[in-house]
Amino acid sequence: MADVPDGLVLERDRDLEGRRHDIWVRRGLLLLIAAIPVVALFNVFGQRPETHTLVSSAASLKIYAPSRLRGGLLYEARFHITAKADIKDAYLILGPGWAEGMQINTIEPSPANETSDNGRLSFELGHIPAGQSHVLFMQFQVDPTNVALGREQTVELKDGETRLLAFKRHLTIFP
Amino acid sequence: MDIALRSIFLFFFVYLLMRVLGRRELSSLEPFDLILLVVLGDAIQQGLTQDDYSVTGAMIVISTIGTLAVLTSYLNFRVPWMRRVLDGRPIVLLQDGEVIEQNLKRERITLEELAEEARAQQISSLQDVRWAVFEPSGKISFIMKN
Repeated sequence: MADVPDGLVLERDRDLEGRRHDIWVRRGLLLLIAAIPVVALFNVFGQRPETHTLVSSAASLKIYAPSRLRGGLLYEARFHITAKADIKDAYLILGPGWAEGMQINTIEPSPANETSDNGRLSFELGHIPAGQSHVLFMQFQVDPTNVALGREQTVELKDGETRLLAFKRHLTIFP
Repeated sequence: MDIALRSIFLFFFVYLLMRVLGRRELSSLEPFDLILLVVLGDAIQQGLTQDDYSVTGAMIVISTIGTLAVLTSYLNFRVPWMRRVLDGRPIVLLQDGEVIEQNLKRERITLEELAEEARAQQISSLQDVRWAVFEPSGKISFIMKN
């Protein structure tokens, strides 16, 4: 038999004794890595927006925003309010989960007034006549260090002091 | 703290990726591989430092990665069973001119590729080779019969 080079053990390095299962470990790990982009295609890591529609007798509110994000991403949230009856003084109130660890780049059209409603962001949108719509665009950027798992984001639509619609969703931000 | 954690996570992820991809994919440096490496480096950098342009941030990343590189190298040196996990072991592909099919198959190497590697080392026939060993570095060593 040929001289075996130094450092080689034929049983181990040629016949692969005790190493036969290594390849399956490698294949398993490779499968896990290959699963990452597949899972990503199904929006598990964001940032595909979702639409939630809320309806009441006075108004409807369509919220279009992603609920899964990653650090550093730019994204948009769109609030589409349609008045079924006259809304004299519309307020859109967002919970602190919308602003926590986010850069709010733009709010268009600018609300008539911005204030705090018991720790929430309150945007005064003004009069929305029956049958008409008001679309509020908000552009955000996630702070790179912002990580969240199921952070609560509340939305409320009011006419003066009267609550018309309320909604709660959860936001996940991947590091 | 965040930046150090990101560095640790990405270091081990890249390490795992490199181990899992297989040695052959890493040993050759064709133009495509070179581009792939640059793209990989760029993608990693974005996740590592993100919007941190500070010297402090760069120092944290570099020192974390440097420490981990030394640590894995030390473990490789001191703990024999870790060597198998971190670096892998050599695999004999050919003995006395006879290829070992199952080992070639395991490493996704065709006979043509083996012959090509041999030619690159001025070996005209695999029959003249006593040992061909696929090293953990991804290179194939040829030891001649005479």
